[in-house]
Amino acid sequence: MRGRGAKIAGVLPLFMLFIAGTISAFEDIERLRIWPLPAQVSHGGRRMYLSGDFKLVTEGTKYGDTSGILKEGFDRMLSIVRLSHVISGDWNSSGSGGSALLQGLHVIISSSTDELEYGADESYKLVVPSPEKPSYAQLEAKSVYGALHGLQTFSQLCHFNLKKKVIEILMTPWNITDQPRFSYRGLLIDTSRHYLPLPVIKNVIDSMTYAKLNVLHWHIVDTQSFPLEIPSYPKLWNGAYSSSQRYTFEDAAEIVNYAQRRGIHVLAEIDVPGHALSWGKGYPALWPSKNCQEPLDVSNDFTFKVIDGILSDFSKIFKFKFVHLGGDEVNTTCWSATPRIAQWLKKHRMSEGEAYQYFVLRAQKIALSHGYEIINWEETFINFGSKLNSKTVVHNWLNTGLVENVTASGLRCIVSNQENWYLDHIDAPWQGFYANEPLKNITDKKQQSLVLGGEVCMWGEHIDASDIEQTIWPRAAAAAERLWTPYAKLAKNPNKVTTRLAHFRCLLNRRGVAAAPLVGGGRVVPLEPGSCLAQ
Amino acid sequence: MSTNLLRLILLFITLSITSSLSTPSPADSPPYLWPLPAEFSFGNETLSVDPTVTLIVAGNGGGSLIIRAAFDRYMGIIFKHASGRGSLLSRIRFLKMVEYDITSLKIVVHSDSEELQLGVDESYTLMVSKKNEQSIVGAATIEANTVYGALRGLETFSQLCAFDYITKSVQIYKAPWYIQDKPRFGYRGLLIDTSRHYLPIDVIKQIIESMSFAKLNVLHWHIVDEQSFPLETPTYPNLWKGAYSRWERYTVEDASEIVRFAKMRGINVMAEVDVPGHAESWGTGYPDLWPSLSCREPLDVTKNFTFDVISGILADMRKIFPFELFHLGGDEVNTDCWKNTTHVKEWLQGRNFTTKDAYKYFVLRAQQIAISKNWTPVNWEETFSSFGKDLDPRTVIQNWLVSDICQKAVAKGFRCIFSNQGYWYLDHLDVPWEEVYNTEPLNGIEDPSLQKLVIGGEVCMWGETADTSVVLQTIWPRAAAAAERMWSTREAVSKGNITLTALPRLHYFRCLLNNRGVPAAPVDNFYARRPPLGPGSCYAQ
Repeated sequence: MRGRGAKIAGVLPLFMLFIAGTISAFEDIERLRIWPLPAQVSHGGRRMYLSGDFKLVTEGTKYGDTSGILKEGFDRMLSIVRLSHVISGDWNSSGSGGSALLQGLHVIISSSTDELEYGADESYKLVVPSPEKPSYAQLEAKSVYGALHGLQTFSQLCHFNLKKKVIEILMTPWNITDQPRFSYRGLLIDTSRHYLPLPVIKNVIDSMTYAKLNVLHWHIVDTQSFPLEIPSYPKLWNGAYSSSQRYTFEDAAEIVNYAQRRGIHVLAEIDVPGHALSWGKGYPALWPSKNCQEPLDVSNDFTFKVIDGILSDFSKIFKFKFVHLGGDEVNTTCWSATPRIAQWLKKHRMSEGEAYQYFVLRAQKIALSHGYEIINWEETFINFGSKLNSKTVVHNWLNTGLVENVTASGLRCIVSNQENWYLDHIDAPWQGFYANEPLKNITDKKQQSLVLGGEVCMWGEHIDASDIEQTIWPRAAAAAERLWTPYAKLAKNPNKVTTRLAHFRCLLNRRGVAAAPLVGGGRVVPLEPGSCLAQ
Repeated sequence: MSTNLLRLILLFITLSITSSLSTPSPADSPPYLWPLPAEFSFGNETLSVDPTVTLIVAGNGGGSLIIRAAFDRYMGIIFKHASGRGSLLSRIRFLKMVEYDITSLKIVVHSDSEELQLGVDESYTLMVSKKNEQSIVGAATIEANTVYGALRGLETFSQLCAFDYITKSVQIYKAPWYIQDKPRFGYRGLLIDTSRHYLPIDVIKQIIESMSFAKLNVLHWHIVDEQSFPLETPTYPNLWKGAYSRWERYTVEDASEIVRFAKMRGINVMAEVDVPGHAESWGTGYPDLWPSLSCREPLDVTKNFTFDVISGILADMRKIFPFELFHLGGDEVNTDCWKNTTHVKEWLQGRNFTTKDAYKYFVLRAQQIAISKNWTPVNWEETFSSFGKDLDPRTVIQNWLVSDICQKAVAKGFRCIFSNQGYWYLDHLDVPWEEVYNTEPLNGIEDPSLQKLVIGGEVCMWGETADTSVVLQTIWPRAAAAAERMWSTREAVSKGNITLTALPRLHYFRCLLNNRGVPAAPVDNFYARRPPLGPGSCYAQ
């Protein structure tokens, strides 16, 4: 970081005028303690209190909420606001009560559907009145999922008043107009290297909502274990670590449902053909041979039948428009080393590299036949980008210049460059997560629009139920602001947002999320006694 | 009993031989109970448990809300998979399309008293059997003298229940079960420290909940220390100005809520104010409590105001903490500030006190305040080593420093809590689980009447380097090792090779904690709270 800082210092004079002009506004924003920062905020200086029976009102809305998504979201919001202290204040006797009392939140949603569609409008407008115009705060949104974001922002405006022992909102009136900069704001979890129990995944999903992330990329299966039940091929989960480190089909559906009710898509991944050794525990025919077990046997039609079965089962529960087919780190030596496959390659006049391409493209076709668009890791683009289906989204992780090349070729892209956005790099500091700009060096508007967003990756080699939360947080939050907040509002120097991020980290702690300290770089433990806000 | 135990140990030996080849499968092994019950026997049947299992209560205490709430909690834990309680599948089954072996859980509680004090009867019996000649419905039955015994029985019952991924139902293996259980020690504690790092209410609740899984029963709340004073004390409202920030505070109502939450789980909360040594933060709100602005610890022994404040704090706390024990600290008192501050020095001279006399004077006066509020004082061992014969005879000595202090304390007729720092300080990251497990509170104490004076032990989670982000994985799984030492019979935890008798069960219990959302760290790492070394099964790390 020191070296990089020196570089920035060289260009600093260019920015000086700009910074000087906006510094007071910027510092004011930093005092707001909202994470991620909304697109537009204005506020006053008055204080309001939340009524003891703070209500949800929906008059005039077009959204029927038959599924209860809004009501549940509202109740969750209230319970997290009330989580950090017992609310024991007396409402009627509070002197300033009366006119400064907020009776509830009036939510107006203009779309009647609760389909969670990718790219749909996530905007919202939140108004908290001042004591002169009391009674209800107002939240307007196109969709219920935009309203859920608004509820998150509202929860961050609420604080506990230690004297009155009630919830208060300072600096009213508030006018907040907000929408995300990118439509894909992801977090990867990996349940193959270590099994993550259901409550742990649900906790991760809940914590994502606090930072307005909206895609849980579920890297379900890999070399080490196959934890998910696949009804079409019921022996696949024989590849689980043990009989109990498994997800039933219903469990997976429950995770999708749980996430969807919080406005979060679940992107399922099977990483073929390279990261799939565990498949063969149940079906050894998928291995090239008993002693050469990866990648999947490209020569065997059964391999593609199994992929078809898996994706057919997936399509019943994973309703996101994308499925991730992996395609990274394919070491094809097992193919040549296995006589049967070597012969097949010869017969079809394929090199190992061509067989890799054949495999990926055939898997893509299967996914398309089940109605999915495809995401593949970047190696597929590097090796045979021009052959990829035009509905492919290329998922970056390795090369820094990749996003430019992908978008120049007309394909869409998701940014996860490992040096900044791999959470398993435990010495990577939060500042690097914050500063990582997905549109770096991409000036063409059309190309920019092909960058769907980004994703932080929590690979599981050294991550299990015991350390996942503190490895994800607070660093994922730094990336979440990069993906949500308008570019012009992002701090050029990440250290300018330290205080606000520290507040968000403490907020996560209060909500029971084991977010780690900021001080020390990467994932750290506190070095000494001290305030949460200062560590 | 010993035959059962022998059977189990033999079984574990067989199991660990086979389990080196494969990970444990609940179907071919007995459920791994932790801590091990005092007496138990089991059979060879597999019973299915109805997701809509009903609660039947009996006895004078059966109607307790504590039982009802615990039943609901445990149903959530046992049926957490998607096809569980409340799902469509279970509702179809409720319409008798599927028959279950266990359709009801009967809880019999003899006493209607919900008083939770040291030594409360936590014994229970648990029977699980299929419908047969004796009973027309298949049932599990928990019988206990108190609601708190019934809670321990429910925990054991939940550990017998395993989700079977083939039938997608909850099964109890190796039935019929007959378990008769009670703790070896009445005091099985865990210390948390909210002064070095503030722990949010929700995190304290997570800790309490996790304690109940290991049948620990005292949360020792080291509330205040030199770094911060997070608790509201209405009588002296400036004290919590010593908090780290306005966010890092507990109101009186918050503290009461913690006590209530703990009681619902059969856990007492023992509050501590550590005087006179660990109290610098008091002076942020009341600088008069410092000997001087430049020399701030220990509390000023010369002023009545100091004792007025202690009395005020204790009066406020008495309304919050009903447990009969109250901890007054008294450790690590460096009296240099008393020697170096003119007015304190003069006061010492006036009374012809050495600084050690003043230390004794302070501790004894604080003890009298606690006793006047109907509390039994607990003090750290330095008070005993320095002036043991002057301590109030009701004092409970808490060990931490010297390994044989409990031997000495009980020999003088004091009660003692064992917390040897070499083994039971959880902030010592270089103590692996075996050392925690093998530490025996009664070591060197042979006389049964003296053994009785050791009321139990406590693992201490000092907070210097443990905040919300790492506190639970620093506590678990090692606290569980101590928990079994304190709950199970001495015979059960002292015999045999613990790699065979305890380790597989501890692996299992750690994964059980993970499955319940508790971030317990891997068992096998030498250093505590380290991440797993590589990919692998929870049961093998």
